[in-house]
This record gives sequence, C-alpha cells and structure tokens, in this order.
Amino acid sequence: MTESISTLTAPISLSTYHQLSLTVESASIRNSGLFKPNPYLQVTIDDKISRKTEVIKSTLHPKWKEEFTILVTPLSQLLFRLADHHSFRKDNIIGEQRVNLLKILQYFNGKCENVELTLDMMKTATQENTSSSAESKTAEVVLLLDGLRIDPATLHQTHEALGETITSRNPLNDGVRARVRRNNPETLRSMLRTPNLRPPPGPPPLSNGGVHIPSSNVATEVTAPGPSHQDTPGPEPTQPPPTASTSTPEEPLPPGWEMRYDVYGRRYYVDHNTRSTSWERPQPLPPGWEVRRDARGRVYYVDHNTRTTTWQRPDTERLARFQHWRGERRHVVAQGNQRFLYPQTQPPPHQADVDGDATPVASGVGAAGPSVGNGTGAGAGAGAVAGAGAGPGAVAGGGSVAAADDGFGALPAGWERRVQPDGRVYYVNHKNRTTQWEDPRTQGQEVSAPEEALPPGWEIRFTEEGTRYFVDHNTRTTTFQDPRPGAPKGPQGAYGVPRAYERSFRWKLSQFRYLCQSNALPSHIKITLSRQTLFEDSYHQIMRLPAYELRRRLYIIFRGEEGLDYGGVSREWFFLLSHEVLNPMYCLFEYANKNNYSLQINPASYVNPDHLLYFKFIGRFIAMALYHGRFIYSGFTMPFYKRMLNKKLTMKDIESIDPEFYNSLVWIKDNNIDECGLEMWFSVDFEVLGQVIHHELKPAGDKERVTEANKEQYLQLVTQWRMTRGIEEQTSAFLEGFNEVVPLEWLKYFDERELELMLCGMQEVDVEDWQRNTIYRHYTRSSKQVAWFWQFVRQMDNEKRARLLQFVTGTCRVPVGGFAELMGSNGPQRFCIEKVGKDTWLPRSHTCFNRLDLPPYKSYEQLCEKLNYAIEETEGFGQE
Amino acid sequence: MAATRRLQKELNDIRQSGLKSFRDIQVDESNILTWQGLIVPDNPPYNKGAFRIEINFPAEYPFKPPKISFKTKIYHPNIDEKGQVCLPIISAENWKPATKTDQVIQALVALVNDPEPEHPLRAELAEEFLKDRKKFMKNAEEFTKKHSEKRPSD
Repeated sequence: MTESISTLTAPISLSTYHQLSLTVESASIRNSGLFKPNPYLQVTIDDKISRKTEVIKSTLHPKWKEEFTILVTPLSQLLFRLADHHSFRKDNIIGEQRVNLLKILQYFNGKCENVELTLDMMKTATQENTSSSAESKTAEVVLLLDGLRIDPATLHQTHEALGETITSRNPLNDGVRARVRRNNPETLRSMLRTPNLRPPPGPPPLSNGGVHIPSSNVATEVTAPGPSHQDTPGPEPTQPPPTASTSTPEEPLPPGWEMRYDVYGRRYYVDHNTRSTSWERPQPLPPGWEVRRDARGRVYYVDHNTRTTTWQRPDTERLARFQHWRGERRHVVAQGNQRFLYPQTQPPPHQADVDGDATPVASGVGAAGPSVGNGTGAGAGAGAVAGAGAGPGAVAGGGSVAAADDGFGALPAGWERRVQPDGRVYYVNHKNRTTQWEDPRTQGQEVSAPEEALPPGWEIRFTEEGTRYFVDHNTRTTTFQDPRPGAPKGPQGAYGVPRAYERSFRWKLSQFRYLCQSNALPSHIKITLSRQTLFEDSYHQIMRLPAYELRRRLYIIFRGEEGLDYGGVSREWFFLLSHEVLNPMYCLFEYANKNNYSLQINPASYVNPDHLLYFKFIGRFIAMALYHGRFIYSGFTMPFYKRMLNKKLTMKDIESIDPEFYNSLVWIKDNNIDECGLEMWFSVDFEVLGQVIHHELKPAGDKERVTEANKEQYLQLVTQWRMTRGIEEQTSAFLEGFNEVVPLEWLKYFDERELELMLCGMQEVDVEDWQRNTIYRHYTRSSKQVAWFWQFVRQMDNEKRARLLQFVTGTCRVPVGGFAELMGSNGPQRFCIEKVGKDTWLPRSHTCFNRLDLPPYKSYEQLCEKLNYAIEETEGFGQE
Repeated sequence: MAATRRLQKELNDIRQSGLKSFRDIQVDESNILTWQGLIVPDNPPYNKGAFRIEINFPAEYPFKPPKISFKTKIYHPNIDEKGQVCLPIISAENWKPATKTDQVIQALVALVNDPEPEHPLRAELAEEFLKDRKKFMKNAEEFTKKHSEKRPSD
C-alpha cells in the first residue's frame, strides 16, 4: 500500500487488458470431399468473447484479410476454429488450434508487432470404426498480429510468478509457427519499384566502407543487410521486432547513450552521439536501424530495412509519416495525368529573342483589372501612372522616358530601366537576366484612376484581414461598396457582381505566360537522372547550372529508359520530384497538421545540416514548375503562398495550420483579458525537437504585460511570430532560389489561391460524388437553398469549382479517394453546408471543418451573387 | 520563458489555497512544465486511496491546453489502462487561455468522484457501473486498495 514514486513506472501487470490487432488473412484447407467448404474462422478469447470472419463461399483457399481489434491480457488463450458454414444444418468444424499469447510474447521479447502466425488447424478425428482418436492436420491458417507490446520485465516477472521455467527461447507449441514480417506486402511492392531511396544530404551510402563508426559493436554489423538484434535493442511500436530475439529482461540503451543521476537522484539520459541529455529514456532504434557518423562527425541514421539514411532519429510518428508518404507514391504518376489548367500549358518556345520580339500582350490588358491582387498599397502612388490601365499604349505612356522620377522611388536592386530604339521603355532584371515591359514597382497591382475624394462623412477602413470597407458616419453604417461614383460598382459582370470583382485568372495567366515566353532562352538543357537517386541527381544538376539556364527547354532523361522528352517525361519528373522532396525522412517539409495535407516548412529542418541549400534548390525547382507550366504533386499551405506573394499574414491564416492556437487568439481578442490573470507578456515560447525556444515579441517584451489596452498589438505580433517561427531562414533560401528562375514580381498578378491552382493544376471535380458526400446542418437535402447551391455548382466551370473548394476546404485538391475522404482538423470531415445568419450576410467558411455557412438567401440569383462575391473576394471577410 | 511565469503564479496560488483534494504537488525546479500531485477523492470507492497524476504543460501554454495522465492505476470508466483521461475542459474545442490549472484539477477530481459512464474510455467498466453498481463498487474498491497510494494523513 505504501507505494513510493517508483510505482509511477511500474510495469503494467499481466491482468490488464491491451488491444491487439488481429488480421485473419487466409487459409488453405485440405481437400476432403466432393464439395468445397464455405469456410469462416472464429476466434475465441479466453473462452469468453468470440469474433467471426465472413463466410467465403465454396473454396479451399479462402482469403479474408479481415482485421479485428481484440482485448487481451498477456495471459490470454486464443482458440481459433475454422468451420464450414451450412445454411441448413450445424456448421462443421474443419479444424482448430489454440494459441497461448504469453508464449508468443516471450518468444518475441514482449513485442507482438507484425507477427505472422501460421496455424496448423487440427481435427481430432475420432474415427467411427476405430477407438483411437488421431489428430490430423486439416488446414493451415495465416494470421497477422500487431500492435501489442508488453514490457519484457513484466513477462520476466511472470514466469517467476507462475513458477514456470520456460525461457523465451521456448519453442511455440506444436502447430503454431511465428515469424516477424519485415514489411507488409504493400510496402514491399513499393520498395521493389523504388529501391534505394536516399535522403538528400546523402550521408555516405551504405556501401561506403570509409565511414567512421563510433561504436564498436556497430562496426561488427555493418556488412549485414540488417543488423542483428544486439545493437538494435528496442521495442518500437510500428516496426517489426527482431525475429530471433534472445531474452533480454532489461532493454539496453542504444549505443552511445548513458544513464546518469542528477543531484536530486533523478535519472536522466545522456546521448554522447549528439551531446544532448533527456529526461526520458531514449526510444531505442527500431530493428534494422543504426546510428552512424559521417566524415564530418555528424550523426545520422541508417535504415537497413529500406536502405535509406536520415538525419533525424526515427520515432514512431516519423516512421508512420514515412509509411504514409511511401503509400502515396503509387498514386503520384496517375494523379499527374489528371491535372490540367487552361489555357493548355505548352512548353515555352524553344527560343525567343529576349529583347526584341515584343508582342504587345503584356500591355494594355490592365483594363481587365486584377482586382484581387494586393491592391491596397497601390493607391497612394498610383496617380503617377494615371491612365496606365487604359489601353495598349499604357506601358509605354506610363513609363515614358521623361518620367525618370515617377514617384515610385528607385527601382529594386539589380533592375535597370532601358529604352528601345523606338522609344519604348522596358526593364532589365540583371539578377535573373530577364526583361519585361512592366515596371517592377507597379507590376500586378491594380492600376486605378487617381483616388477621388470620398463623399463627406465617409471613411475608408480596413478589416483586420486587410479588406477595404467604407464607413458612412452619416448613417452609421458600413459597406464593402465604394460610395464614389467612379468606383467599380458600375457595370455588372456576367455573374451579377461588379465587373471589377470578377477575377480574370485567364488574363493573369496569359500575362505570366507572356513573361515566361519573352524571357525564354534558346536551345535546351539536358538533365539526366536515375530513378533510384532522383533527389540527389536532380539537386546536383539543378544547382550546378546558372539559374537562368533553367529557363531553357528541359530535356529530361531517366537513365536506362528509352524515350524522348517531348513533355511527358518532364511532366513526370516534376511530379515525382515534388513528391520526393516531401519525404518525411528529409525533414524539409511537413504536413501543416494532422489532417491538412498541404505542406509547410519544417522548423526542425535544421537537423539536416545542409537544409538551406536544399530549400534553395526546391525554390528553383518550384519556380521551374511554374515557368515550364508543369504541376507538382502536393501544394503548400495558403500562408506559404501568401509569403511567396509577400502578402501580410493575418490571424485568420493561423486557423488552417494550427486551429488550437487560433482559437486561443480569438478568445483573447473577443474577451476582456484584464480580469482573468492570463499572466501574458510580450514574449512567447515554442518547442522544436524537445528544445524550448524563447522569443521576445519586441525589445524588453519580457517586461511588458499584455493588457486589454495593448492586446491588439500583441495579437499582431504573435500572429507574425506564429507564422514565421523557426522557418525564416528556410523561407528566405527558398525564395532566393525561386527568384533566380522566376522573379517574384511575376507572381504579383496572382493571389495565393491562384498560385495554388497554377502550381497544382486543377482536377476534374466530380460533382455527383461531391453532392453525395455532403452533409447539412439546419438545412436538409431538399431545402431550396441547397438545391440552388448544387444548381450553382453544376453551372460553374472547373476553375470556379476549384475556387469554391478552396474557399470551403482550404485547397483545390480533392483527396485520392474522393469527397468521402475529405479530412478536417479532427479527422474525417465531410463537406458541410450550414444555415447561418441572414440573407444580407455573405457566405463564410471554416476550412478546418470543411464547412460553408450559407445564409438563407431569398432567390437563386441572390445566392449566386453572394457566393460569387465570397469566392472572388475570399479573404476572411466580415458581414455586411 | 513565457509559460513559466504564468505557471509559477498558478502553482503558488494552488499551494496557498491548499486544495484538499490535490496534495503533495511536486514540480522540478528545472522544468516547471511538468507537475505531479496526488488526487485525493472523497467519494467511494476511491476514497480509500490517493492517485498520482502528472500534468504536462506544452511550451505554448496557455495557447494550448495541458495534458493529464494518471500514474497510479485506477478502476474508473473514464480513465484508461494507460492512465489517459478525457477531460472536456482541456479538450481542443473547449480550451480557453484563461482556464486555470486549479479549475482543471477540480474538474478532474469531480470526474473521479462521479464517473460519467455516458462518455467512457473503458466501455466494459462503464457497463458494469451502469448495470451492476454493487459489483463495480466492489471491484473498484478492491482495485483501489491494491493499487492506489496512501492518503495523506492530515
């Protein structure tokens, strides 16, 4: 009863229940009669609970692949009974076998993970004519046990407790054979297809004999394809345990680790490999893994199972992600062929005269007006280029030779303004070796007529998200509609909204394509790669070339594969490589959160010593995808695109990547915080790889308390910090690489959603599937607003549908399995339409929950107008 | 450290208020993000012992909620074999940065005292609790006697 602290770590006793995953895979039954049986398998746990598989009709080789989760204790007895189902008489037992779980656990040193059991199903045939009862084998059943791990110390106690003398070398009982499955068949298949993948920094390959190996017992192992159990001692939930484990009651520490006690007598662990300490006992490396050191003394990890290496110590979560990532591989190419974007992307022309060859596409289109762009900053200086948006002559006029001092200040570094013999002005970007007609300082910005004064009593304000709105102090109302007569509320576009709000993605795209084409270089570059070392080969060849060369036509060759690259091969390369950079073992990118499959930079990427070079490489590569009009497999988070566009990140942006954090911010914003003792100061912490990193939000922030009065500033600073913490250097490296190939100015036409569309392409959206997998709250399937909504969706084109999806789910991509597999921040989350608010409100969305708040509009036309407005103006907007 | 100051204050407040149902609070000097303490329930069958819990605060506290786990085994429908407990007040949906640890502890004590079989983590115990209260009480009491820690004497 007087248990001390030591009970905290006391092993779980033998009587407690654990979950065990049991997969009944297949059986093979001896033929014994005219008719084939209708077999099913029944398992009974400790004579209490039993579970049954499906009956499979008329076969001697049933395959079930049924997984059961059963509750067992280490002492459980499992009785398997294979039976033949008869619909009109009693089922006939084909054979049975009893399994003693403890023996298996002891045999595998407490780890029942990925254990394949083959059972001889026996039948005691009390022959009618003889009195002797002979047991005969009638069938064989294959099962897979997984997910059970018991502290070996507990098991050790057991035999003492039970007074048994069995050793863990004890054979299993007759008729039960067990082995650890190294890989499940699926991963095995994908391994066969892509053997030998290595991480980017390429710590010395396995065959390299010159590696310095710190620990001597590792050294004895290096030649083995998979190291034996001694140096990979640990239990690791997702990995199969070593097959022939000896009885080791205490799992030894991994090589290079040591246990120590501090002055308080508390136990801690020293990792001499990385010179770090930890309170927690290290999870030993999974079987088949090994720690090594490269020539520069840096620690890395070798996975002999997959013949890969990584900088980051493998743990359960990382391995699970790796499995997930590898599982995607087989979809990658298929996905690539389904993406599209109009106008049909063509490879840029083989050559174009950079300076001459001026088709006036670039100019004069300003009238169409990129309304969604970052229009706010433009206003002030826009007057100087009055009329620039008017017509074909615009660019020449606006940037006339005389207007050297045009009020925009100096050109960005590396830029030069030049004049053609015919007097037309153009701009040279020496950094990237590109030229363009448009002034980089105003590029992509909404060029509007000089701002007219507001009517008396009116004021312009901006929402926290940066959307402009107007306050009428006369009537104390607010509106998004510009009250000035010249404002773009005038002509109604095709969707019944002001034309200025209609995006013209096609127009922007043609602008961008024009820039690409006019800066293309003649001839081509050859990139020769091997599929096995895709990442490294690509890295070396792309980084070896001067960046501008990457604008030449690409000619990709996969070593050993015939075939000329007329586009198909490079399309495949972009898709494969873009998937490859996500390999979680490279630690460069990570999924935004559990259920947001968009990518963001991993703040822990610095474990990879060369990570900044890799980010620069990836920046170049992503720019190449845009430049050459190719798609990548998986997109980035919206905040990342905004960063590429140099747009201000808002609190709302946090919602999609860290909903928990966002909720807390909203709470602080919405509540008076003075009375609730938050004890918050202008400083924050976060954790990377077990290290807490402290940050002052402003000078001496540690000393300034957050109050109701200054919380606005605090929220702003925290937002800024949350979106950049731990990833600034990496982002800069990425953008630097990007900018060398495609000047970031060229992106200014687009907003973040358009950027995603350009980069990932669109997929045909299956509206039937979408509608089938949509749920409703406070509406029903037959509500008229719901009917209108689907009518609206059906009449849209693919781009619009993609945009609507982005609006509600945060991405234009549909999961591989269709809408049924849509994920939210708390697991599977179907597309949901909820009745919220009044018909004067705009629709809103909650991307973490895939939910559209659709007010009960009074007519189809009204619904179309509001939805269009919402999709076009997406930024988190308020209500009217 | 941002979380430290808040936690230091909360810890002092809790220690001063002298919660009867949460005792023997232990916090490492070096790591205030981890607390341990004894839950001392009032209601049978758990009033025969005390239960050690660990509270882990994330570095981003109070933007993110703490996590609680039982270190002493307990026969309870809402606490599983691994010591995990499902406490609404610290769930992602309900968490507020103003929630204080003493409120969390009080919610936990209330849950220990009065199990909520409608939201069980261990369905078999919840069923026993609902269908055969007598048997549940007997099992839980035996379990408590066997596994729980000694109640503080004062």
